[in-house]
Amino acid sequence: MSLDHIVTVTVGGLTVGMIYALIALGYTMVYGVLKFINFAHGEVFTIGGYTAAFTLLALGVNDAMSPIVMAGCILLALLAAVIAPMTVGFLIERIAYRPLRGRSRIIPLLSAIGVSIVMQQLIILVFGPTPVSMPALALGSASFSLGGIRIRVLAVVIIVVSALLMIGLTYLVRSTRIGKAMRATSQDMEAAEMMGIDTNKTIAFTFIVGSALAGIGGLLVVMYYGSLKYDAGFLYGLKAFTSAVLGGIGNIPGAVVGALVLGMTETYGVSLDLGFLAWFVLAGLVLGLYIQMVRVPGRRLQHIAEDRRTPEYEKSVKNVYRLAPYFAVKTLLAERTDALLSVSAEHAVRLMCGNAFLAASAAAMFVFGDVRIDTRWQPVIAFVVLMVILMFRPSGILGEAITEKV
Amino acid sequence: MLHERTRKVLALALAVVLVFGLFTISGCKTDDGGEGGDATGEAETIKIGVQTALTGPLPDYGAAAKNGVELALEDFGTFEMDGKTYQVEIVVLDDKAEPAESGIVAQSMVDEGVVGVIGSLTTGATLSAIPIYAEYRIPQISGSVTGPKANADSVDTFYRTCWSDAIQGEALAAWAIELGAKKVVLMDDNGAYAVGLADVAEAALEEGGVETLRQNCQSGDKDLSAQVANVKEFAPDALIFTGYHPEAGLMRKQMIEAGLGDVIFMGGDGIKSAEFVAEAGGTANAAGCYATFGGFPEDQQPGYEAFAEKYKAKFGEDVGPYAQNNYDAFGALIAAIKAAGSTETEDIIAALQDLEYEGVTGTFSFASETEGAVQRGDIVVAGLTPANVPRYVIEGEDWVAVE
Amino acid sequence: MTAITGRIRSVTAPVRAAFARVPRGVYSALGLAAAAIFPLLNVWGVVETAWLRVGVLSLLFVMLSLGLNIVMGETGLLNLGYIAFFAFGAYTTALLSSPKFELRWPFLAVVALSTVIAMIAGFVIGLPTLRLRGDYLAIVTLAFGEIVRLTIINLQDFTNGPNGITGIYPPRLASEGAIASLGDAAWAKWLTVDKPIEYYYLVLVCVVVVAILLSNLKNSRVGRAWNALREDELAAVSTGITAARAKMLSVVLSAGIAGFAGALYAYYSNVISPESFLFMQSVIVVCMVVLGGMGSIPGVILGAIVLQALPQMIREAAGAARSEFEVYRMLIFGVIIVVMVIFRPEGLLPDKLWRSESHEVDPRELEKTRQSLFDLEEGEKDLEV
Repeated sequence: MSLDHIVTVTVGGLTVGMIYALIALGYTMVYGVLKFINFAHGEVFTIGGYTAAFTLLALGVNDAMSPIVMAGCILLALLAAVIAPMTVGFLIERIAYRPLRGRSRIIPLLSAIGVSIVMQQLIILVFGPTPVSMPALALGSASFSLGGIRIRVLAVVIIVVSALLMIGLTYLVRSTRIGKAMRATSQDMEAAEMMGIDTNKTIAFTFIVGSALAGIGGLLVVMYYGSLKYDAGFLYGLKAFTSAVLGGIGNIPGAVVGALVLGMTETYGVSLDLGFLAWFVLAGLVLGLYIQMVRVPGRRLQHIAEDRRTPEYEKSVKNVYRLAPYFAVKTLLAERTDALLSVSAEHAVRLMCGNAFLAASAAAMFVFGDVRIDTRWQPVIAFVVLMVILMFRPSGILGEAITEKV
Repeated sequence: MLHERTRKVLALALAVVLVFGLFTISGCKTDDGGEGGDATGEAETIKIGVQTALTGPLPDYGAAAKNGVELALEDFGTFEMDGKTYQVEIVVLDDKAEPAESGIVAQSMVDEGVVGVIGSLTTGATLSAIPIYAEYRIPQISGSVTGPKANADSVDTFYRTCWSDAIQGEALAAWAIELGAKKVVLMDDNGAYAVGLADVAEAALEEGGVETLRQNCQSGDKDLSAQVANVKEFAPDALIFTGYHPEAGLMRKQMIEAGLGDVIFMGGDGIKSAEFVAEAGGTANAAGCYATFGGFPEDQQPGYEAFAEKYKAKFGEDVGPYAQNNYDAFGALIAAIKAAGSTETEDIIAALQDLEYEGVTGTFSFASETEGAVQRGDIVVAGLTPANVPRYVIEGEDWVAVE
Repeated sequence: MTAITGRIRSVTAPVRAAFARVPRGVYSALGLAAAAIFPLLNVWGVVETAWLRVGVLSLLFVMLSLGLNIVMGETGLLNLGYIAFFAFGAYTTALLSSPKFELRWPFLAVVALSTVIAMIAGFVIGLPTLRLRGDYLAIVTLAFGEIVRLTIINLQDFTNGPNGITGIYPPRLASEGAIASLGDAAWAKWLTVDKPIEYYYLVLVCVVVVAILLSNLKNSRVGRAWNALREDELAAVSTGITAARAKMLSVVLSAGIAGFAGALYAYYSNVISPESFLFMQSVIVVCMVVLGGMGSIPGVILGAIVLQALPQMIREAAGAARSEFEVYRMLIFGVIIVVMVIFRPEGLLPDKLWRSESHEVDPRELEKTRQSLFDLEEGEKDLEV
C-alpha cells in the first residue's frame, strides 16, 4: 500500500462526500424546520439532474461551441435544474405534507414514501426507463495534475460549490429576516404564528431552497459522472440522509462534515488494508474513552440537585462511569438505587459496550492487518453507518441543532 | 357496533372479489372459445405459450422476444402432420421478470393447455418456472436465459437456444491470455449474470497461471473511485468487466481519468452496446475496448440477413436483443412436434433431445446431459469452442468484429 | 363536502343499522367460508389453477400484513425493512430443506426454526433501536432490510448469492415412512404438500391460526398495552406498562410471523432468490396495512387481498391493456399511500381506537400535546452521547 494509493483514495472519497453534502443540505434544512424526514428529496435531486441533462441535450452543447455560448448553455441548464425541482418541491409540500402537519411522526413519513414512489414512476413515464447520458464535453473530463495526482476540474467545482452553498445557507438562516422566521418556526410553530410570522410561507420557502440545492446537486452529478438513472435518487437520498444524521440532523455544517465522513468511509473501507484502518478505530476508541471517562460524568454532575450535591454523591456518579463495568453493574443490580445513579449506570454500561466493541475490532483489524474488505461489501457500508449512528448517537457528530446552534 | 361493520364490509369485499374473479374468468373463457372456433376451420389448433417480461426492468428485451416469436408464428405457425393441418395459437403472458409472478404465469400456461413454452426472459424468473413446467411435463425453450446454472437440477423439460455464459467466460479468459495478460482484474456487478460469467472466467484464468483480482460494484453505482484505486494498485494488464454497459462505461471513464488508459478493457455481451461509447465519455475513451458475444455475430448467422429484413418489414425497427434466438426457439419446438409426429408433450420432449435444427443462428442441437460447463438442454453448436467465440473491438462509434 | 357526506350518512343509516344487527362472527364465518370454498371452484372447473397460485400468494401477503400490523398498527412503530424477516424465514427453510446442503428436515421443525430465527433477528435489531423515535426507527429498519438483502447476495457460498437456492423440497406433514405405510389411501397424498390446492389449504390454515391468535392478543392485556403505547407513550408508561418490554414483544412477534410466512413461501415457490426481498416489497406490505386500516385485523386482511389479487384480476380482465396497467402499478401504490394518509388515515375498515383519534378530536391539538410530552421524555432518554 503506497502513499500514492492512499492519496488517490482520499481524493476519491472527498469528492463523493461533497456530492452527498449537496443533497444532505436540503435534507437537513427541512428536518431542522419541520422535524420531518423528506423521503422524496432524493427524487427531487433526480429531477434536477434529468432537467439539466435534457436541457444540455436539447441545446446541443458540444466542444465546438465558443466558450461564451457554452457558458450560457450551462447557465441555462443550471437555471432549469433549479427551477424544476423548486416547483416540484413546492408542490409536494403543498399537496402531500401540509395537510398532515402536526400529526404523529410516522404519518407524514408514510406520505413522503408514497410521494417518492409516485415521483420515481413519473420520471419513468416522462423521461423513459433508460438512463440519460450527457453529451461528452471536454470540460466534463478536464483534469490537472497536483504532485503526481490527477484531479478533475469538476471535482474542484463540486467542492467549491458545496462550500459556498454551505456558507450561503448558514448566512441565510442566521442573518436574514426569513432565516429568523425559519428558526422561530422550527422552535415553536404556534408561538411564531402569534408573533406574526407566516409559518406556511416560511415552510414553503424552506422546501423551495432545499429543492433548489438538490437540483444543483443533480446538475453537478450528471456532469461529473456523465449519466443518471431514474432510480438514482433513492440511494443518493439515503446516503445524503445518512450524512445529515451522521453530522447531526438540522445542523448545516454538520451535514457537510457527515457527508465527508461517509464518503471517506465508503472509499477507505474497501480500498485500504485493515491494518491501516485500525488506526482510525483506535482514534475512535480514544475519543470514546474520553467521552466515557471525562465528558459525560462532567455533564452528569450538573444534573445533581443542589441539596444532594455532596462530594460522596459526586464521586459515586463519577465512579459509575469510570469504574464501569464493576460499579455500574453493581448499581444496576442493587435493589434500591437513586434514579440518577440508575440512569447513569445504564448509560455507562452502554458506553462501555461501545468502547469494548471498538477495542475488540481494532485488535481484530491489527491481527488481520493485510486483509482488505471485498468491494462487494461497499454498498453495505452506508447502511451500517446509518444503523450504527442512529442506534448509538442519534444526535450525530456535531449535535442535532437547528434550534440552538443556527 | 364497529366490529360488526368491519366484518360486514370484509365479507362483502370477499364476496365481491370472488364474484368479480368468477366473472372475469368465465368472460375470458368464452372469449377464448369463440376465437378458437373462428380461426380453426378445418385445422386443429394447438397452443404454445410465450412467457416473457413486457414490463419490469427489461421491457425492450421482452418486446424483442415477443416479436421474434410472432415472426416465427407467421413462418411456422401452420403445418401439416399426418395429413392433418395444425394451426398454432400463441398465448403471451407477462411475468414482469419477477420470480413470484413467474410461478403464477407458468401455472396459467399449464391451465391454458399449451404443448410447449417459449421463455422466460430472465434467469431469475425462469428459475421459478422450471419446476412447474417440469412437474406438468411441458417442454420449455428459452431464447435469452444465459445464466450458466439455469438448469442446475438437469430437468429434461428445459432447453435454450442462446449460449450459456460459461462458454463466453472461458472465451474471455482465453482472449486475455492471448493478449499476453499476466495480471487480470475481474469485475462484476453482483447480479446473477455478471457473477456467473466472472466466476467462469476467473477459474479459467487461474488455470492458465494468471494472477487475478476480483472487484465488484452494484448495478446503478455512480462512483467507482475505490475500485479504480484498487485496480491501480494491483497494476493489471487487463480488466474484464462482466456486468452491463452503464457501469462498464463509468468504469472505463473513471479508469482513464485515473491514468489507467493502458489497461486492456474487456467485457462480455453486457457491454457490447453502442451506448457504451457515450457512457464511457466519447469515442476517445472507448477506443480499443474489447468485447465477446454470446452467440455468433450476426454476419456469421446463416439466416440473419433474411430474418432482419422480415423483422424490419413487420415491426418497422431493427432486430432487438435475442429476437432471432426466440425465433429459433419457436422453430425448434415446431420441428420437434413434427419429428415426434404428435402433439403429446412427452413425445415432444423426447423429440427435442434428438433434434438437430437449422435455424437463423446456425445448426444446433441440445445437450442431452450435464457435462462440465455445458448443462442439460444447452444449445450445442457444431465446431464451437471458446477460441472462436466472436470478438469485437470498438472502432469509432461502434463495435466491429475482430478477425 | 360535509353536508353531502352527512346526507349520504343519513340515507344509509337504516341500512347500516340493519347490517349492524347481524351478530359479530357471522361476517368472519362468511369470509372464511368464501376463502375455503374458493379452491373448490378450481376443482369444479370454474376457475383456473393459476388463480389458486394467486390465492396462495395473497394469503402469504395477508399473513405478512397481519404481522406488520402488530408493530405498525397496534404499537405505532413504522418498520420499513419488514421483508428482511420474511427473507430470514425463507432462507432458513431453503437451507434446511433443499439439495444445497442435502438436508431435508421435517416440515414442523423447519417452520418452527424459521420462525424462531426470524424472531431472534427481530430481538437483535429491536434491542438497540426501540428507544429511537418513530421516524428514526423507520429508517434504521430500512437500512437493516437492505443490509440483510445485500448480505444474502454477498454470502455466495452459503446462499448461492444472486442465483438463489433452487429445488426446495415440498413439505411432508408426516415422516416418509409413515406416508409410505399408508399406501394408496386417498388422503395419504395430501400429506405431501406439492399441489397448488394443497398449498392453498396449508397456508389458509396457518393464516387463520395467526389471525385468531392476533385478534385474541389484540383484546388482551398485551394488545391494550400496545395501543396505549401508540396513543400516548408517557401516559402508558405512567400506568405501569413497561414500554421496552411491550415494544420488544410486538417486534419479536411480528418478526416471527414474517419468518413463518417466509418458510411457507420458500416451500411453495420451490426456489428463492434475493430479488424477492427488495425494499419495494416492504413498501407494498406497508401499503396493504395503510389501505386496510392500521390496527384493524379485518382491514389489514382486506388491504392485502385487494392489493395482491386486484392487479391480477385487472390483468386478466384488461387483457391486452395489462402492460399499460403494469407501468402504472407502482404509481397507483404510491398514490394510494398518499391519498389514504391524507383523507382516510384510519383505512378502509378502521379500528375503533384509530377512528376516535383521527376524527373526533382535533388531531393537531392532540398531537401537539403528545409531541411536547414525548420530546421532554426523549431529551432525558437520548442523553448526551
